Amino acid sequence: MAEYDLTKTIIPYLDRHFAFPLLAHLVETNLFPVEEVQAAQYELAKGTNMVDYAINLFEQLHPDEEVPEEFGNKREKAVSTNEHLQQEAQAVLDVIENPDVAQALRQDKNQNLQYLKDNYGLTLEQITALYNFGQFQYTYGNYSGAADYLYHFRVLSTDTDLNTSAHWGKLASDILTGKWDVALEELNTLRESIDARAASAPLLNSPTESLASLHSRTWLIHWSLFVYFNHESGRTLLLDTFLAPAYLNTIQSACPWILRYLVAAAVLSRKAQQTTPGGTPVSSRVRYAIRELVKIVQMEEYQYSDPITRFLKELYVEFDFEAAQRELLVAERVVGDDFFLNEFKEEFLDNARYLISEAYCRIHQRIDIGDLSERLNLSRDEGEKWIVNLIRESRMGADAKIDLEKNVIEINRPPLPIYQSVIEKTRGLSIRTQAMGAAMSRAAQPSRLRAKSVA
Amino acid sequence: MSRFFRQAGDSDSDSEESEEELMTSEDEDAAAPKAAAPAAKPAMSRFLKAAGSESSPSSEEEEEQSEEEEEEEEGKETKKKSRFLRAESEGEESDEEVKRVVKSARDKRLDEMEAAGKVMDNALKINDWVAISNEFDKLVRLVQRQQNVSEPVPPFFVRTLVSLESSLNTALSKEKEAKKKMNASNARALTAMKQKVKKSLKEYEKEAKLFQEDPARFEREYAVAAPAEAAPAQQKKKKILAEDEEALVQAARGKKSTDRVDQMRILEKLLQVAETPYQRIRVLLALISARFDYNSSVTSHMPVDLWTSAQREIDQLIAVVIADSSYSIQETTEDYDEYVERSPSEQADGVLRIRGSIISFVERLDDEFMKSLQNLDPHGTEYVDRLKDEKSLYCTICRAQALYEKTQQSEPLGRVVMRRLEHIYSKPDAVLLALEAATSDIPTAISLGSQSSPSDLIHALCVHLYQSGNTLLRTRAVLSHIYHYALQNDFYTARDMLLMSHLQETIYSADVATQILYNRSIVQLGLCAFRCGLIREAQATLQDIFTTQRVKELLAQGVHQQRFQTLSVEQEKAEKQRQLPFHMHINTELLEAAFLVSSMLVEIPLLASIDSEEQKRKAISKPFRRLLDFAERQVFTGPPESTRDHIMQASKALQNGQWEQCRDLIQGIKIWDLMPESASVKEMLARRIQEEGLRTYLFTYAPHYRTLSLSLLSRTFSLPLRSVTSIVSKMIWNEELPASLDQAAGVVVFNRVEFTRVQQLALTLADKTSVWVEVLVGVTGMMVRRAINELSRRKSGEVVVSAQGDQALVVREEEGLASLKV
Repeated sequence: MAEYDLTKTIIPYLDRHFAFPLLAHLVETNLFPVEEVQAAQYELAKGTNMVDYAINLFEQLHPDEEVPEEFGNKREKAVSTNEHLQQEAQAVLDVIENPDVAQALRQDKNQNLQYLKDNYGLTLEQITALYNFGQFQYTYGNYSGAADYLYHFRVLSTDTDLNTSAHWGKLASDILTGKWDVALEELNTLRESIDARAASAPLLNSPTESLASLHSRTWLIHWSLFVYFNHESGRTLLLDTFLAPAYLNTIQSACPWILRYLVAAAVLSRKAQQTTPGGTPVSSRVRYAIRELVKIVQMEEYQYSDPITRFLKELYVEFDFEAAQRELLVAERVVGDDFFLNEFKEEFLDNARYLISEAYCRIHQRIDIGDLSERLNLSRDEGEKWIVNLIRESRMGADAKIDLEKNVIEINRPPLPIYQSVIEKTRGLSIRTQAMGAAMSRAAQPSRLRAKSVA
Repeated sequence: MSRFFRQAGDSDSDSEESEEELMTSEDEDAAAPKAAAPAAKPAMSRFLKAAGSESSPSSEEEEEQSEEEEEEEEGKETKKKSRFLRAESEGEESDEEVKRVVKSARDKRLDEMEAAGKVMDNALKINDWVAISNEFDKLVRLVQRQQNVSEPVPPFFVRTLVSLESSLNTALSKEKEAKKKMNASNARALTAMKQKVKKSLKEYEKEAKLFQEDPARFEREYAVAAPAEAAPAQQKKKKILAEDEEALVQAARGKKSTDRVDQMRILEKLLQVAETPYQRIRVLLALISARFDYNSSVTSHMPVDLWTSAQREIDQLIAVVIADSSYSIQETTEDYDEYVERSPSEQADGVLRIRGSIISFVERLDDEFMKSLQNLDPHGTEYVDRLKDEKSLYCTICRAQALYEKTQQSEPLGRVVMRRLEHIYSKPDAVLLALEAATSDIPTAISLGSQSSPSDLIHALCVHLYQSGNTLLRTRAVLSHIYHYALQNDFYTARDMLLMSHLQETIYSADVATQILYNRSIVQLGLCAFRCGLIREAQATLQDIFTTQRVKELLAQGVHQQRFQTLSVEQEKAEKQRQLPFHMHINTELLEAAFLVSSMLVEIPLLASIDSEEQKRKAISKPFRRLLDFAERQVFTGPPESTRDHIMQASKALQNGQWEQCRDLIQGIKIWDLMPESASVKEMLARRIQEEGLRTYLFTYAPHYRTLSLSLLSRTFSLPLRSVTSIVSKMIWNEELPASLDQAAGVVVFNRVEFTRVQQLALTLADKTSVWVEVLVGVTGMMVRRAINELSRRKSGEVVVSAQGDQALVVREEEGLASLKV
């Protein structure tokens, strides 16, 4: 199973601190020798200011060795830097937390800066101290503190580069503290800013610029996995984001392995494809996600394939149910071992089964129950129960009947009567025409006004 | 006077003298007695000129011609002189020759000066200032050369100068008084003359003063100085003259009457005597240029022997420059004196810069090679022999690359790398390895030695070009790279590269050569898809180029016969020059076979699946459909001969569900053997034919069946049951086939419903109405948006009346309706 593990592929696109949960997960899955993973963890921690954590890991790794000297020095240094930076930042913070100031601050950053400078003598350099302190806090693992400082910094600073950097930092802190709602918001604003920058730069003339936007998009995609697979409605949002042309291109050209998550999300959000009454309407992108994805998986097959994408391909390209079943068996384990997907294992399996049986029923007229259960990796009894449930909750209810004696399901799909299809096609017409008429009369009004004003 | 004698003497002793020259000298011989009389002098020389050129005496044209003659003489003189030099240095030449030449070395120039002076005198008499001006120019040039060989200014020149000044003054004063003015050109020449004389007088002020004081003494002094100075000059002479010669040849370059063969010979000799690197470089530069100059016309190619020697000399030149880094050849340098020997130590940074361009030589050499291949019969042995030269040419290119890598000149380096790439991008690995093997001793940074495989080499070359700033080179590098990947059957990489380069959008504005390269790459990509079994991709890729019906022309592999318009001569010439040499051709017959077969596999099931006439009109591949229609109309079809026949009959067989016959016909096409992996391609085709045959069969015969057993289908089409099920399922899922599977019985059950005419019409009507509504919504949506814009604009205090915009909208609306009606 280790060959399907993506941890190694993904880590280069993540922040150092994100790698800890990933590695911790690897320890649990036993895909790799525990010592190796711990060694990796230690190596990672060494580079940060999380001295205690590093020492802890070191002790785990080498129980009978002395803790190296350097850690003591490092800790002292970290503490002193921390104090130093905190003092600097505190000065700014004191000013900002003053209620008078909070009231006086406006939208316009330049104006704010001027105001702070005039009344409290705050300069841009001092504000940058907030950034530095936030960043430092992040390095020793105080993520919520870092998020706070970076937030304040962003409100005040006018430096675009540092602002972007603070943006990323804030997102990372939010992800690591597990505030998914905030993180999602952060993610969206960050995505907007990246898209805006990419849109402003003409593609052909500035290869470096488009390369930069490709990079930042790749990073964003990887980081967002944390949010999307933890947030409540993350899967549909993931589909919505990743299937947008710009991000789809990024995935296809820079990181095809993301297709696994895309496919998984599409399978998981199968239920969203049916119009949920009362729920928020899903975009057409999500609704047709699977159809879209089948094409892409097929197209990118030469670059990337794993059991999950192969499952989709076997099911919808080859219509080879046996192969699909085999792939599903493997995919189940892959999903179980994956850091992001493991929580959705059951759900994934459920939905995948549903997809198989849906396709199966659509193509077949008479289905042997035993056969279908086998296709779904279920025992005979379980299979029967599953099928009954399926028939009950799905649309085919009226057309499908179980014949227990012969042990088959009969699906009877009478062809749509011709008048019905004509009605289907023309149903929306009158409403649309009315809407159009209304729009036109509204449009006509201002033009009449205009005619008068000209006269 | 002495001029005539000399010429007479020349024609006697020198058997190589041209006939015209002989004639002239004969005339002169006849006129010699008259020449003795001073009074007859001017008239005579005119007469002689006229005899030589047979044109009216006073016209300007004549003057020019005579000048040319003069130059020709110069050329010959130089030749003789160089012989003299050689005779001196080698001491092997006969006495007689030496004697003759000794006489002419210095005196000839004097003679010439005098001759010019006489012509001027003549012209003065008839007040022809144009002629005077021309002659004077020549005279000044001669004198300057005289000075270059460090000889004193001859008194004759000073005398002429002084007399000219006086006659000028009189002429000017006369002109002022005269009622009838001179003609315009004459007057202009007169004023120009005045300037010139003034200038030279200033230059030779000292001499002129001396002369005016005492003409006799001046002449005496000169007579004494001349031989005295000749002696020390003798040692230097060899070197200096060598450069002098080179400069002369340089000056004569490009003139109509220059004898190119002669020039080359002179330069070759000079190369032998050249000692310092500076001389060698200079002579080589001139010699290579002279070689390329040999052919003046653009269409004909360089003779092979000249080409090989030019190639050798470029190699030499590169070797000289590489060996001594204190010399550098650059296209732009500071001005320097052509006649003076220079050495690197005199330069500030120890590097001597010489004007010249190796890269353009290399490019020219490459172009000439291509040109000669274009003009040879590709099926003859000569062509093959010529192709063998590519190896040495490739080596030269690599050498040039090594040179520029050493000197770090990025611009020419990019160009030379491009040339190198162009030689190898379309070659299969074996040929490429052979070419590379020859260059193994040339130390270039990018070579096969440092790269593990030919593909890596190409990759490295391309990457180098991507990093260079030149967009044209970058584009060409991308295209070559794509071509190479396609040749290596790496379809996906090639395709991704093409898509990422976004070249499809901009290629229309590129130059013709790049467009051809683009077409070649696209076609190769299509062939690659075909070889990889990606039939759909192959069809789509080759489609564009085949719909134009001008495949050969687009690939620059043949001139297209224009049926309705004739090309002008220039167009035809340009077209011919663009043609690729035969060994680079992509076989168009193979291409067509690949395209038609993939079209067949895509189109035939599609044809079978549609039932209404209207849909039938929408063809995927028009060229294929046309051929198929044509084949169907034929009453009698014989056994297939051409590739097309094969494919057409195969298509028919496929339509009828006879896949075996179809397969045999397709596999019987001989041209497949040209593909490197023909066996696997044939196998792939057979498999595709089975599958598509099954699909066609189902489409065509479904209406006649209620159920069909899967196992029967599997037996009929020799496909495994699993793939039959897979294909049928796919068709059901995509709603191509109104059917479903009965798992228990193992059959396909068709649920086809036949519509009546009214039902069909109703359906069509419903479809059309909804399309109509779509269009209308689009149009009104636009209107509403516009209205909103208007409102917001007015709010900002800006009144805009755009009646035009409204009109445009109405027109669009009407267009939308019109399109619906159709």
